[in-house]
Amino acid sequence: MDSWLRDYLETPANPREIAKYLSLCGPSIEKVEKVGNNHVYHIEITTNRIDCASVYGIAREASAILPRFGIKAKLKEFRLDSKSFTFAKKVSYLEANVDTNLCPRFTAVLIRNVVIDKSPKDVVDKLEMSGVRSINNVVDISNFVALAVGQPVHTFDYDKIKDQKMILRESKKGEKIRTLDGKDFVLPGGDIVIEDGEGRLIDLAGIMGGKESAIDENTKNVLLFVQHYNPSNIRRTSMALAQRTAAATIFEKGTDAELVGPATLLAVKLFETLTKGRADQNILNIYPQPYKVFSVKISEKFINERLGIEIQKKEITAYLSSLDFECKWEGDILDVKVPSFRAKDIRAPEDILEEIARIYGYHNLPSRIMDGDIPDRPTEVKFAFENNLRNIISGFGGTEIYTLSLVPESFVDEKHLKLKNPLGPDTLCLRTSLMPSVIGAAKENIGLKERFHLFEIANVYIPRSNDLPDEKMILGGVLSGYSYRRAKGVVEALLERLNIDVIFKSEEEKGFGASRCAFIYYADVLVGKIGIAENTELVYYEFYLEKLMKSAKYSINTPSFIKIPKYPAQIEDVNFNLPQKTKIGEVIEQLKNTKFVVKAELVDIYKDSYTFRVWYQDQTKTLTDKEVHGIRNEIISSLKSKFGGNLKE
Amino acid sequence: MNTKNQALAQLMSAESVNELEQIRIDYFGRSGKFTNLIKDIKKAPPEERKHIGQTLNEAKKSIETLLEGQKNSFKEVAREWFDPTIPGEKPDVGHIHLITLTIEKISEIFTRIGFERARYPEVESDYFAFEALNMPKNHPARDEWETFFVDVPENPKSGKTVLTPHTSSGQVREMLRVGKPPVRMINIAKCYRRQSDISHVPMFHQFEGLVIDKGISIVNLKGTLDYFAKAFFGKDRVTRLRPYHFQFTEPSFEIDISCGVCGGKGCKVCKAGWLELGGAGMVHPNVLKAGRVDPKIYSGFAFGWGVERVLMMREGLGIPDVRMIYSTDLRYLSQF
Repeated sequence: MDSWLRDYLETPANPREIAKYLSLCGPSIEKVEKVGNNHVYHIEITTNRIDCASVYGIAREASAILPRFGIKAKLKEFRLDSKSFTFAKKVSYLEANVDTNLCPRFTAVLIRNVVIDKSPKDVVDKLEMSGVRSINNVVDISNFVALAVGQPVHTFDYDKIKDQKMILRESKKGEKIRTLDGKDFVLPGGDIVIEDGEGRLIDLAGIMGGKESAIDENTKNVLLFVQHYNPSNIRRTSMALAQRTAAATIFEKGTDAELVGPATLLAVKLFETLTKGRADQNILNIYPQPYKVFSVKISEKFINERLGIEIQKKEITAYLSSLDFECKWEGDILDVKVPSFRAKDIRAPEDILEEIARIYGYHNLPSRIMDGDIPDRPTEVKFAFENNLRNIISGFGGTEIYTLSLVPESFVDEKHLKLKNPLGPDTLCLRTSLMPSVIGAAKENIGLKERFHLFEIANVYIPRSNDLPDEKMILGGVLSGYSYRRAKGVVEALLERLNIDVIFKSEEEKGFGASRCAFIYYADVLVGKIGIAENTELVYYEFYLEKLMKSAKYSINTPSFIKIPKYPAQIEDVNFNLPQKTKIGEVIEQLKNTKFVVKAELVDIYKDSYTFRVWYQDQTKTLTDKEVHGIRNEIISSLKSKFGGNLKE
Repeated sequence: MNTKNQALAQLMSAESVNELEQIRIDYFGRSGKFTNLIKDIKKAPPEERKHIGQTLNEAKKSIETLLEGQKNSFKEVAREWFDPTIPGEKPDVGHIHLITLTIEKISEIFTRIGFERARYPEVESDYFAFEALNMPKNHPARDEWETFFVDVPENPKSGKTVLTPHTSSGQVREMLRVGKPPVRMINIAKCYRRQSDISHVPMFHQFEGLVIDKGISIVNLKGTLDYFAKAFFGKDRVTRLRPYHFQFTEPSFEIDISCGVCGGKGCKVCKAGWLELGGAGMVHPNVLKAGRVDPKIYSGFAFGWGVERVLMMREGLGIPDVRMIYSTDLRYLSQF
């Protein structure tokens, strides 16, 4: 909220300018919303900058950034004079036994004679514009302090704490607590909890207070509670119980232990003005290991090299000082002292570099593509090969699809991988074949178009023991409204374009109709399959890309030039009557295996009569009619003996 | 001029192909009227020759056009009906998917500036997906990735098995593969996150750039991303960097591109003239160490952006919902 921001920031900048310049150099301001006479900023705070998750934190950033755009900005300190209070290790009103690994700083103070009432309008406005509902003055103070300075604060009804005793410890597995929203939890163990004198759990620390000790309309004495917790315990509990409270999301990122004191004093002051309560002069403060300032060293050379430009030493110092870093140059090495509120985030020279770079302004840096050597990575042929396939198939009428790799259990082979946390049963498994997905896509389109051809190139995932699965790239395609011969022709044309000589062998295969499938071999290697999908009239084909690529002459190997024959071929059509159930593929193979037959094709079928076109050729001379006659006779006798075929005159 | 008009008049009144042929010879024959005129150009003063030449050429062209037209009108076939605008009989026409086209365009742009394309596993170990990227177990930053876990026993060394939620898992793999910089990789692959709505699909594609060498700076990152943005979206578009946070880069940025709809003035589509492209940053020293690259000698930058995102940001495409991209409806597929 703009007016709240200006409680801590003195600047002539308007909200639009603040949003624009902060986004460029600091936290991203997604939106500025005008509400009445005021403005509300919607700000995205990244996980490493929890110090910015407060009005004061944003004011501190703005005071460093705005001057870089020529706008004056001065931070107004919220820290109060602590002279009238003593931070003491022991106090008379509370006996505390604290595990300081869980809670490195434990602070509490008793506020007596509180009058529960409504908060003044200014406080209510500030909370509600920030999206927090106003409850009563006591609860509002906690929320106000958390939003203003970024330190979550909790309050107990002091009179409900039995024996005025607290033990802060790790929970045991199975312990139970009821939080102040009325929910019951069975704890997973390792959570930070507070037990009172009667052994009751009264606080699920850092996440939500317990019902047993909650403030109510009759509360008179309040124990104000301001802590610094071990972030990993808070995070584990909050995730395990799915209690993502505002306090938890701040504590789990690691708060600033040094902020606990000033936040306590701010809260005390608010209690004294808003609730008429009086705070005890002794504030309990268990803080065995106060923050020690550490420093990070960074060289001028490193800064200039990583930025890609040269900036003056005194500029560097100015940028860092504006962010509360203390700087000292020792020759070309800069010693940077890290303030407590940045201790979690700033560890290495790279972190300091980021601070310099962003305040300098990324928008002020030039753009230049790197020079230097280009890596001598061996060219990956697979990408070019896949694209070549796509181009060829789409040229033959295929339309490319992308289907989801996650499929239902009914789509996969027995050996498959399953997800632990799927979105639903339809996306439970990693597919082991493209066939069901591609056929499914075809079925959705039947009726839309008379004839179509869909294909996909994607991985399937074959489990391996003690290793990641084998990710096999597959080309899968489906043709609808095509006769089997026409569909197979498309596949043959593809193979011809790839310059692969294959053999089709009839096989029985799962997913295809009975004796409706052929395996496709290059030499002895199974490179693919084609057939009519079970219970459909769709032709499905698939190829294993790695195998196909190794066979294809254009991808890895250069094809050899074949001399154009000097002497022309003699071409003739021959008709054969063949018995039923003859495999024509085998007949063609037989024809081609005859000496001087260089090519043989099926050109026509009429009932049992098949017309083959045969090319007779000798590289060394023109064949005479007599010689052709001899070859023809050889064909006739071999077709007769092998297939029982008869020449039709 | 006179010669031209004379010729045109004669052509118009000709009544047979033979007559037309005679006219052609009269004008363009070896000693035809026009041929002689062309020969005479030499006699003209040099400064006028060019002009005369042009005039003659134009005249010659118009005579020839009319001659050809008249000739055709005498032919028999001209009277037979023929419709050259009749619809053709097409072969089956196929289409390549928008995602493929986009991936091709991206990889083509980056290979022009020395990047090599790569593709790393979709089913990945926790180690490469998170731990090697400076995100130890239980790190809050991991929450930002809605990760799918594969139901297999945990590997004692590499941890759980996940569907990779980003192409960044290829960063350390590439460093280990290369052994010694320079690295200029563009890794384009399928990624998975547990989400599905108007701007998210559980399976999507990212492209990950990784550059490592001596002296790589923020200026180089800006240069590379600017080059891509201009090549992909158009030369008038500009990019800007904003500070951000990722565990595996330091410093980290969010990259915006000027809005193509309003030209950067601010409109409904954008945020005050800018659209978010994606994240980038200087490779974190811990990530370099995981890839056995010495951060004292080398530095680098990386970025990982959504293919679907840059596609949908292209001006004029107008696909309202990212899930539509993966429709298998031919009425959609055959539009591209």
